[in-house]
Amino acid sequence: MATSALESVAVPGIAAKRRQSVGASRFAPKRLLGLLPLVVVLVAWQIATLAEIYPPVLLPSPERVAMAFVVDYQDILFNAFASVTRVIIGVSIAFCVAVPAGLMIGRYRTLDMLSDWTIQIFRSVPPISLIPMALLFFGIGDKPAIVLIFLAALWPLLINTIFGVRGIERTLITVAKAARASEWLIFRDIILPAAMPAVFTGLRLGIGGGWLTVVTAEMIAVKSGLGYMILNAQLTFRSELIVAGIVIIGAIGLLADQGIRSLRAHVCRWQDGLTAAAE
Amino acid sequence: MTGFIECRNVGKTYESASGAVEALRGINLDCAPGEFVCLLGLSGCGKSTLLQIIAGLETASDGAVVIGGHELDGPSPLTSVVFQDHGLFPWMTVRKNVAFNMKAAGVKPVERAARTDELLEMTRLTAVADRYPHELSGGMRQRVGIARALTTRPKALLMDEPFGALDAQTRGHLQEELLRIWETQRTTVLFVTHGIDEAVFLADRIVVFSPRPGRISAVVEVDLPRPRDPESPGFMALSRSLRHKLVPDLQGAPLG
Repeated sequence: MATSALESVAVPGIAAKRRQSVGASRFAPKRLLGLLPLVVVLVAWQIATLAEIYPPVLLPSPERVAMAFVVDYQDILFNAFASVTRVIIGVSIAFCVAVPAGLMIGRYRTLDMLSDWTIQIFRSVPPISLIPMALLFFGIGDKPAIVLIFLAALWPLLINTIFGVRGIERTLITVAKAARASEWLIFRDIILPAAMPAVFTGLRLGIGGGWLTVVTAEMIAVKSGLGYMILNAQLTFRSELIVAGIVIIGAIGLLADQGIRSLRAHVCRWQDGLTAAAE
Repeated sequence: MTGFIECRNVGKTYESASGAVEALRGINLDCAPGEFVCLLGLSGCGKSTLLQIIAGLETASDGAVVIGGHELDGPSPLTSVVFQDHGLFPWMTVRKNVAFNMKAAGVKPVERAARTDELLEMTRLTAVADRYPHELSGGMRQRVGIARALTTRPKALLMDEPFGALDAQTRGHLQEELLRIWETQRTTVLFVTHGIDEAVFLADRIVVFSPRPGRISAVVEVDLPRPRDPESPGFMALSRSLRHKLVPDLQGAPLG
């Protein structure tokens, strides 16, 4: 048959490469390169404390910080849990608001005209500058912190979702229209998946922003969480607990980002081999 | 007898920054049920615009289009479009792409799955059903586009330079494949192309367009027996005469 030649023209290797890139590369030895700068920092830190460049009250040694993780693990766990819970709640609400809103604004010109200036104004306001107002309205507690995290995550999620919808190839909408697809189906099967990579970018930025905000907010507006713990450790001259807090903040940030990346790799696996990969 | 697709004095004028541009003027065209009609012309002659209008994706500024006895008002359920750049959804597997038009038409999932398998079989895509479009060759992608268009059992296929982006050999294979499908399905096909040989190879009737404004300059019946041999004298003679019908356009055209 004339077409049998065509079957074999299917681009070979891409499918195989895709499976490989999802599974193997994360565990490749090259990945360990990422540890190198951290090791350098640790060694420099150790040398600095041995040389007593700063008094131990200000700069604790790595061993003392490690000990803090053992001695104060309950405190650290409790506060880390409080911070993480707030971020999850705040970012989740932001996600549920920003993604549908962004899909609509990206799709309909009138909504874009309506919202553009407002979005640009409000996203320029750092959430931290809203702490005094949040305190006035909500008092000390979870509420002001969650509201601030919500605001920190809302704008990057919204703007990236809109951006994602704008990037859709026009033809694909035309294809759906020619097939008489309902507006709902166009949203669900075309606009949403097409915008998904950008939504994930927004989610990464939103979680990052939310995480920065929670620590700051906890130093002022709440009596629990890692920010509160660090500030409290300063008041009681426990520098090793301050550093332990900083380490755990960084570690959770890294974990969250890695988590979102793997989720994205799974949800947007259709992109493998489409986007340019780094050499 | 009136055609399955009828264009009655269709005209299209675009408003642009530099004034109105007349893309189509006075198009009258009838396609009989099961007929294979090629719209042939150089780029910018309005043939694709006419197809867009018949697909219900553009509105005519003048005249009317009637499909299956109903005046057109948006995309008709009786037609399916095969797009120039195949228009596959990159986040859907081949199977999901093929099923999409049925999903849009509200076909039940069970029926959808069965019909998808049937079409994958017919277009020889079963082996790649779970791949994503970018993992396929250009020719295979367009076969997915054709399979998707056929799922809803359209009475007419509207094809907008579907093989334009393919290499000559793949194009040849797909032309044969399209004729095979057409002969079994007996749908009307309206096929836009700028390839003279492609039109002669495929069509029952060739409608020649000329530009500025886009209008029909000639209609040629092709009565060569199928399968057609591009090397045969009849084929070559017809190609030559069509080339002469197209060339006068070039002489009046501004350079560049």
